[in-house]
Amino acid sequence: MSQTLSPQEIRIKAEAKNHIKVQGKNRAYGILQKIRSVKPVIDIERGLYFTQSFKETEGQPLQLRWAKALYHYAKNAKVYIDDDQLLVGRSGKEGRYGILYPELDGNIFKEAMEKLPTRENSPFDITDKDRKTVIEEIAPYWQGKTFHENFAKSLTPETTKLTYNPDKELTSRYIVNETASFRSSLQWVHDYEIVLEKGFKGIKEEALEKLSGLDEYSPLDYTEKRPFLEAMIITCDAIVLWANRHADLADGLAAKESDPKRRAELKKIAETCRRVPENPPRTFYEAMQAQWFTQMFSRIEQKTGTIISNGRMDQYLYPFYKHDIKAGIITDDEVQELFECMWVAMAQFIDLYLSDTGGAFNEGYAHWEAVTIGGQTKEGLDATNELTYILLKSKREFPLNYPDLAARIHTRSPKRYLYEVAETIKAGEGFPKLINDEDVVPLLLSKGAKFEEAYDYSVSGCAECRMPNRDTYTSPNAYINFAAALEMVIYNGKMLKYGDEVLGLETGEFTKFKTFDALLEAFLKQQRNFIKHAFIQQREIIRLRAQHFASPLGSALHKLCREQYLDIHQPKIEGGIDLGYFEYMGFATVIDSLAAIKKTVFEDKTLTLAQIKEALEHNFKGYEAVRQILLNAPSYGNDDEYTDSIGKLLDREAQEFTRKYGAELGVHMDLRLVPFTSHVPFGKVVSATPNGRFANTPLSDGSSASQGADINGPTAVLLSNYATKNFDCCEHAGRLINVKLSPACVKGEEGTEKLVRFIEAWRDLKLWHIQFNVLNTDTMRAAQKDPENYRNLLVRIAGYSAYFTELTKDLQDDLISRTEHEAV
Amino acid sequence: MSLVFNIQRYSLHDGDGIRTTVFLKGCPLKCRWCCNPESQSYEKEVMYTRSKCIGKTECGFCEKYGVEFEENKAKITAECPHEVCNICPSKAVKTVGEEYTADEILDIAERDSIFGGGITISGGEPLTHPDLLLEILKKAKQRRLSTALETCGHADYSVLFEAAKYLDMIMFDIKSLNTEKHREYTGKSSELIIKNFTALCADYPNLRKKVRTPVIPDFNDTANDIMDIAAFLRDKPNVQYELLPYHSYGKSKYQALGREYPMGEKTLDKHNFEVLKALAEEML
Repeated sequence: MSQTLSPQEIRIKAEAKNHIKVQGKNRAYGILQKIRSVKPVIDIERGLYFTQSFKETEGQPLQLRWAKALYHYAKNAKVYIDDDQLLVGRSGKEGRYGILYPELDGNIFKEAMEKLPTRENSPFDITDKDRKTVIEEIAPYWQGKTFHENFAKSLTPETTKLTYNPDKELTSRYIVNETASFRSSLQWVHDYEIVLEKGFKGIKEEALEKLSGLDEYSPLDYTEKRPFLEAMIITCDAIVLWANRHADLADGLAAKESDPKRRAELKKIAETCRRVPENPPRTFYEAMQAQWFTQMFSRIEQKTGTIISNGRMDQYLYPFYKHDIKAGIITDDEVQELFECMWVAMAQFIDLYLSDTGGAFNEGYAHWEAVTIGGQTKEGLDATNELTYILLKSKREFPLNYPDLAARIHTRSPKRYLYEVAETIKAGEGFPKLINDEDVVPLLLSKGAKFEEAYDYSVSGCAECRMPNRDTYTSPNAYINFAAALEMVIYNGKMLKYGDEVLGLETGEFTKFKTFDALLEAFLKQQRNFIKHAFIQQREIIRLRAQHFASPLGSALHKLCREQYLDIHQPKIEGGIDLGYFEYMGFATVIDSLAAIKKTVFEDKTLTLAQIKEALEHNFKGYEAVRQILLNAPSYGNDDEYTDSIGKLLDREAQEFTRKYGAELGVHMDLRLVPFTSHVPFGKVVSATPNGRFANTPLSDGSSASQGADINGPTAVLLSNYATKNFDCCEHAGRLINVKLSPACVKGEEGTEKLVRFIEAWRDLKLWHIQFNVLNTDTMRAAQKDPENYRNLLVRIAGYSAYFTELTKDLQDDLISRTEHEAV
Repeated sequence: MSLVFNIQRYSLHDGDGIRTTVFLKGCPLKCRWCCNPESQSYEKEVMYTRSKCIGKTECGFCEKYGVEFEENKAKITAECPHEVCNICPSKAVKTVGEEYTADEILDIAERDSIFGGGITISGGEPLTHPDLLLEILKKAKQRRLSTALETCGHADYSVLFEAAKYLDMIMFDIKSLNTEKHREYTGKSSELIIKNFTALCADYPNLRKKVRTPVIPDFNDTANDIMDIAAFLRDKPNVQYELLPYHSYGKSKYQALGREYPMGEKTLDKHNFEVLKALAEEML
C-alpha cells in the first residue's frame, strides 16, 4: 500500500475529501478558513468546574448536584464572542476544542493526557499547565467513582471476558463491546420547540408553581419531586446567567469597537442574549440564538452519543422565518448566513473521545448533530417548505461536513425536493443521508407511538429516530461482533487472537459437522450467547447509569420527565417509549462465510471443512486457491436468494431472541445494522473468515455487502436488503446502507433523474436509510492498487457503465485523467 | 438454443430509467470496433483473464486437463476444455454463454422494475434469436414491463416486424450508407439494414426510434458519412439521432478470447467528433 501518513496528513486527506474550499460569499467562510487547519485543543474548564462543584455537593441528590455543577460552570467559565460571528456561545477555547467529562472516564485521564497529542486517530493538544490541572486536580477525585469502573465491577466473569481485556485499563475486546463507558447518553434530540415557545423563564415558572404545590409531609415529594424541581430551576437560572454573561461581554466589546457595522452587530448580540433563551424569541435570529445556547449548554451538561442532534430545523424555525420574511426584516441569504454561522460554530466543538475504543468508533473527529429536513407534518401532510430548500442549498454551497444533514423521504415528497436532494448528493460529499418515513413511521406506531408523534420524528445521530417528549431510553448499547461468533464455531469457543482461552460456547469440532444445518445451528447458538451477554451488560448499564448520570437540562425539556419529576436517565418513565438496540457487526461477513461453506463443502464438495480450517489458520498464506474458491461463492448484496435467505434467517433469529428476552430489561432491545466506523476495529480482532476475508481486515459495514462483493450493482444491493428484512417483525431498529457511485453515473440532468428513480425505489422497498458516495479519481487510484476491495466500483465510460477493476490498466489511467479534466 | 452472455442490472444508458439489459449471444456482423467480441459467436466460448490467474505455484488445478504454464500463469487457448472453467478457483477462466428461459430473464427484470426502467434486449443481434426474443417480448408485455431493443438491423424483416409490435422503443444502429465500406468493416453490406429501417418507419411510424452511429476512425468519421445518414433520417417519423464516439474499451476482451484486436492503436480525433456531433444536431 501507500506510505505511512502522519496524523496531520491523515487529517488533511480527510478534509481534502470533503472539498473544503476557501472563498465564499458570507462571513462564515472567513471564520471557517481561520479554524479549519488548527489542531484541536482540550479545554479543561467543564471538567474542572464540574469537579469543583461535585466536591462541594457530596451526599446530595444527583440531579441537584448536576444542576449546581452547571450553575458553577455558567458563573465561572470564560465566555467568548468570536470575531465576525453572529451567534455566540462556545464551551471552550477559540479554534477547535474538545471538553472533558470526568464523571464518565476520569479514571483514564492521566494516561489519556499523555497519549492524546500524538495518537493516530483524532489527536488533541493540551497545554502543560492544563495537563497538570487535569492530573492533579480533576482525575484524582473521580478515581473509583466513574461509571466505567463501577460498571466493569458489576459484570459476571463470563460477560467480562467477552467485554474487556484482562488489563487494568479495561480496554475493549471488541467482541461484545459496551459503549456506555465512552458517552453519557445515546444520541438524542431535545424538544427545542418548548424553548422557542416558553423560554427558560416559562419552564422555570412551571417548576416554581409545582414546587409551591408540593405536600410538605410527603416523603416522595420531599425526596424525589423537590430535588427534581429545584434542579430544574437552578438549570434554568444557569443557562440564563450564561447568556447574560455573553450579553455583558458583547456590550463591553461594542464600547471598544471602532467599526460601526460590527459595533451595531455586537449591540444586537447583547440585546439578543439578554432576551433569549430566557424569553421566547421574536425573530428568526433570536430563535437561532436560543436554539444554539440550548444545544451548547446541553453539551456542557453531558456527552451525548454523536453529540446532540438539531431536530427538525425546517419545522420549528419556520414560523419565525415566515414572520421575518413577511415583516421584511430578513432575506433568504441572511437566513443562510445565520445557518452557516451555526455550522461553523458547530465544527469547532469536537467530540473528544479519550479511550481508543471511542476514537476508533468515531474516526476523523466524527460527530453527527443531525439536522432533519422534509418528511411529514404531525398531521401526516408533506412538510417541505422554503427553509428545507435553504438548508439543502447551504449544504451544497458551504464546504463543511457539519452538521450531518438528514432528509426524510415519503411517498408524497414533492419532485422539487427529491431533485434537490439528488443534486445535493451529486455534490459528492455524501450529504444528505436519507431516512425513509415509509419504514420508520409504521415501526414507531408498532412501538406504541401515536400517528402525530410518529409523523413528527427527528433523525438522531447516525441513523436513529427520536420522538421528542415520547422517547425515553438513553442507555448506550452493545456492539456485537458476530464475525467473532463465527470464529468461535470454527475454533470451538476460542479465537486465534486469544489462544487457548475459551470465550464462547464449545459447539463442537468444526471439521466434524456432517450437515450445513448442524453447522448453522452451532453458529446460531454462538449468536444467541453473544446477545445474551449483551443483554446482561445492558441490565447493569441501565441500573448503574441512573446512579452515575443526571440530565437536569434534558429532563426539563422533556414533557414526561416534567410530569413525573423524573430524570431522563432513570430506568422507567411511565408513558415513555424505550427504544434501545444491539448492533449486529459483520452481517455480510457472516452471511457470505456461511454461504461459502454451504456451497463449497456441502453442495459442490470442492472443499472440506478441514481444508477451510487449515487455510483460515494460516490466514490463507499458501492457500490462495482455497481462498479464491471461497471468494467466488455466492455473496450477499447481489439479489441472490442463496445468500439472502441466510441473511433473513440471521435477522429473524436475532429479532426472535430480543422479542423473548428484551422484555426482561423493560425496554425494546432491537436489532440494528449501523456501524459508524467501528467495523474496522472489530475486524482487527477477527482472524481470516470463510468468505475469503483476510485476518484483521475490516468487517462488512451495516447492511452493506462485503467490500467489493456486490458485483450486480447498487440496485441488487437494495433488493438484497429488502429480501433479508423480516417485515413481520418489529424488533428491529435502523439499517444503514452505503452506496458508492461514480460521478459519471449521476452526470447531468439525466443522471439526476436516474438518481431520483433510485431513491424512489429505495423508498418503495421500505428500506430504512441510505447514503451515497459519489466517488472521485482518488478512489479510482486506490482501486487500481487494491482491485479486490473495489470490485464493485462502477464507472461510466462511453455509452455504458462498467466495473472499473475489469478494465485494462490503460483504460483505467485514461478514465482517471479524463475525470480530472472534467473536474476542472 | 439461444445463449445469454450477460444480464446487466443497473443499466443506465440503454433506454428510459434504470433498466435491466439482457445480451443475447451471436451476431451476423463482425464489426472491427466491436467492444463485446464475445457477443459475436453463437456458441459457448472460453474467456481467460490472465491477471486473475493465481498461478501454478498456488493452484495449478488445470494442469490435469493438459493446460500448460508460462511464467507461472496458465496458457489458455480457445480449445481449452470447459471443465477448466468449472474448476478454476479464481474464475480466471470462465465460459461465456449461458442458457436462460424467457421467464428466468423476466423474473430478474420484474424484480428490477421497481427502479422505474424495464427490459432492454441487446446482443449480439437479438433479432437473430427470434424464438427467445419474441417470447421475452410477449411475456414482458403481459407483465406490463417497458421494453426496448438494441439492434444492428441486419436480420429478417419479418422478425423485426413481429418484435416491433411489443416494443416501447428501439435503438437502431446505422453505421454507414456506403455499402462497400460497410461490408469491409462489418462483414456485411448495409443494404438490408437500410431497407429494414425504411420498412420499420413505414409500418411503425409511432414507435420511438433512437438511431445511433458509432463514429469510427477511417470508417465513417467524415462530414459526408454523417451528413448522408442524417439526410436519410430527416423525413423519418419519431427518430432521435445520436453519435457515439469510438473507444477501445473492448480491447482486453479480445485478449481474453485469444484474438487480435482489429482496430490496433487507432484513436478518434475528439475535436472532429464534436464537429460531427454539431453537424448531426444541426441537420436533424
